[in-house]
Amino acid sequence: MKDLSKVRNIGISAHIDSGKTTLTERILFYTQRIHAIHEVRGKDGVGAKMDSMELERERGITICSAATYCDWKDHSINIIDTPGHVDFTIEVERALRVLDGAVLILCSVGGVQSQSITVNRQMTRYRVPRVAFINKCDRTGANPDKVIKQLREKLGLNAVPIQVPMGLEGDMQGLIDLVKMKAVYFDGENGDKIRIEEIPAKYKEECDIKREEMLDAVSMFSDELMEAVLEGTPTEEMIMAAIRKGTLSLEFSPVMMGSAYKNKGVQLLLDAVNDYLPCPTDVENFALDLDHDEAEVKVTNQPGDPLLALAFKLEDGRYGQLTYVRTYQGTLKKGDSIVNVRTGKKAKVGRLVRMHSDEMEEIEESGSGDIVALFGIDCASGDTFTRGDYNFSMSSMHVPEPVISLSITPVDNKAQDNMSKALNRFTKEDPTFKTYVDQETLETIISGMGELHLDVYVERMKREYKAEVTVGAPQVAYRETITQRAEFNYTHKKQTGGSGQFGRVAGYIEPLEEGEYEFVDQIVGGSVPREYIPSCDKGFQKCLEKGSLVGAHVTGVRCAINDGASHAVDSSDIAFQLAAMGGFKEAYMKAKPVIMEPIMKVAVEGPTEFQGSIMGSLNQRRGMIIGTNEEDAYTVIEAEVPLSEMFGYSTDLRSLTQGKAEFTMEFATYRPVPKSVAEELISKAQKKDKK
Amino acid sequence: MLKQELIEKNPIRHLKGESDAKESSRMGLVMARAGVGKTALLVQIALDSLLNDKQVVHVSVGQSLDKTKLWYDDMFKDIAEGCKLDNAAETHDSIMRNRMIITFNESKFSLAKLEERLHDLVQQNVIKPSCMVVDGFDFVNGDRAVLEGMRDLAKAMDLQIWFSAVSTDGVEVPASGVPAPCSGMEDLFNTIVLLKPVSQSECIDLNIIKGSAAVSKCGKLLKLDPKTFMIREDCK
Repeated sequence: MKDLSKVRNIGISAHIDSGKTTLTERILFYTQRIHAIHEVRGKDGVGAKMDSMELERERGITICSAATYCDWKDHSINIIDTPGHVDFTIEVERALRVLDGAVLILCSVGGVQSQSITVNRQMTRYRVPRVAFINKCDRTGANPDKVIKQLREKLGLNAVPIQVPMGLEGDMQGLIDLVKMKAVYFDGENGDKIRIEEIPAKYKEECDIKREEMLDAVSMFSDELMEAVLEGTPTEEMIMAAIRKGTLSLEFSPVMMGSAYKNKGVQLLLDAVNDYLPCPTDVENFALDLDHDEAEVKVTNQPGDPLLALAFKLEDGRYGQLTYVRTYQGTLKKGDSIVNVRTGKKAKVGRLVRMHSDEMEEIEESGSGDIVALFGIDCASGDTFTRGDYNFSMSSMHVPEPVISLSITPVDNKAQDNMSKALNRFTKEDPTFKTYVDQETLETIISGMGELHLDVYVERMKREYKAEVTVGAPQVAYRETITQRAEFNYTHKKQTGGSGQFGRVAGYIEPLEEGEYEFVDQIVGGSVPREYIPSCDKGFQKCLEKGSLVGAHVTGVRCAINDGASHAVDSSDIAFQLAAMGGFKEAYMKAKPVIMEPIMKVAVEGPTEFQGSIMGSLNQRRGMIIGTNEEDAYTVIEAEVPLSEMFGYSTDLRSLTQGKAEFTMEFATYRPVPKSVAEELISKAQKKDKK
Repeated sequence: MLKQELIEKNPIRHLKGESDAKESSRMGLVMARAGVGKTALLVQIALDSLLNDKQVVHVSVGQSLDKTKLWYDDMFKDIAEGCKLDNAAETHDSIMRNRMIITFNESKFSLAKLEERLHDLVQQNVIKPSCMVVDGFDFVNGDRAVLEGMRDLAKAMDLQIWFSAVSTDGVEVPASGVPAPCSGMEDLFNTIVLLKPVSQSECIDLNIIKGSAAVSKCGKLLKLDPKTFMIREDCK
């Protein structure tokens, strides 16, 4: 069994295009998992190892977080490569859930960009300790000091450099390690020959100052070091122990630098991963006890204890369904029988593999804290596995509601079959991707977190499942809600032939501040018999599915019943359901319903000279500009814009700013649409009804 | 309560500049010890303009956009709740459209940049402010010339500008009544107020050092509710 203190489960996270994949590629090379380096957009056409999906290679971005295993100086490291685009944030969040530590990559020129802020917030939410790596120090305009300042100001991290670069931009020679006070050079064609020398005289002074600053910051975490610093005798071990302690407590973030592309500093980063990031037993993980109202229980990480494993990612590969699991407690062995806590189904562990992007290595067992993949296990992502003796679940992950949808129509019968297979797979893999059939138009609708999100799935359908589909115009997920209280008193009566139907309900509906729906039973004296009260509830819920304004989902409603009448023979479950539905419809229009639309928080980052035109473009799209933040030559503009107006914005922005600006957006809230837009939506919905 | 009543209870209604100063281009200064509520009062002043359907630029030095936005949201919520404002959400959305926040990092603030930005905004038709609040301006190291430039800007753009400054404790207050670090700069401002918490009485004193109160009953002292920064009922 492996020593848990020598296991690292880390993630690599950053803004799009900061060089995550390139860095991962270098790590794999130095740890001898691969024997040649391929660039992301390389001319050799092989593509980087981690970008295993065809589509990713084509677009130069990483979509799925492939898990990869490597060894560095007697430590085992599991790396989860995470996507950088906001549309795929669920992937990032899911990856973070199973990580113990992370490397936050920043571009030395771009600094802290909007996505880094999102990722950093997510890491804080899941309490993931991190080290920062300032990449691309070879680029023109590289300025690590500026980036460190931004780390402090924008991300609120206690970021302190533990290295000093020797030269920047074109003439970067190597790095100086402030802990060991040595200069490190990376020789050889692939930078794999490390040469350690004394610090060159011209950097000596700068290094002394920076080391002093670093010691000041880290001695906060160790009294022993504090004393040693005062006496002038701090040892390497003491400093490293203090940095580790600070990092694990999330109150300190060591900053490393280098250039993955130019093969500088990657090995030192790997050392830092071993030295400063937590092992599985250093972090606390909690499971939810389903027998005791989801009470939190700390997992033990002991290999001898009952099994607790979380499936955090599914992939449909050449060999069937592949399930990535992280074991939190106990040991997972080949041939074991395990139970899916959600479904209660038993399954047998047929093959257990360790993943290396898309190649794999068969293993016999996986200890707690490890990340491995299983074959042929039927489950959805987020499911927990045990041996059946435990009714625990790893905490449910926060899943945002989809905000955009598209209709898709297969071009022929064959595509139809493949499409349903693909959709079945995708919905299991990705909880933010949903699909359903519109009962009226009989079209298949897919919904997700953004245009690109759905685009990628449509592309994958085409490539992986050969399902050619035509795509409808994107639709925004509108909602309806009411703005005031309204009463109803409705009698449902049907007495023509056969057994009759009778039910009367009275009550009111009113806006609900928080939550989607609430049912209140205020019946006294049994005017509605007990057994029919759930029927009323059911009736209301049916009404919520489709509002009378534009047929959107109705949310934020409290339905209460306080009076009614029944008939000894004619009352039935269905009669009361229909009465409740009639009552709701009667009150709904009186309650001044409004249409709500999803509002996105948009951050546009671009050179200052384009600021005016960027603002103009946001204004045109019914955007509400919240403000601007002035950086040196860059300005970040934040605005809240309705999602319906954001279609095609990336193209517009590009042409407006000569491709120099970029934007990210994430869902912010739902807000009522302005009157003019509401009227248009209603008349559109009415036209659709007539058809 | 209606929007109109909200406007009337705002303390800024009671602050008049010196007789010769035009209200539309006055310079105001709010001073207080750290943590008493300078930003709150500035936001209150801004909200007053917003409720009057005027447009406001909020310049924040050293604070993030999100934080500044939160100030407005919280302040508005407190006021709306405290005064039982009808259709609060609607009013909120409509007035916040007239607000624009510009944030600067502490070291990056410069008059030239701000001026350029304001001209941009007016030109692009994004916003035409009639009130600007500047929170976090560094008076200790600040240059008098920058403030003079601001005064010219106020005149040129027909803009009232309000600043906040942290008053230093323990230093003797000069005869003008304006504590450091702003003593000696009082000629630049038309109105200067000093906020002071009153212990155990759940209110904040607003001392008008320069300019006068419109309501004679209270003289140069107004009492504010510490939560909403509105004038308290007993002093109207």
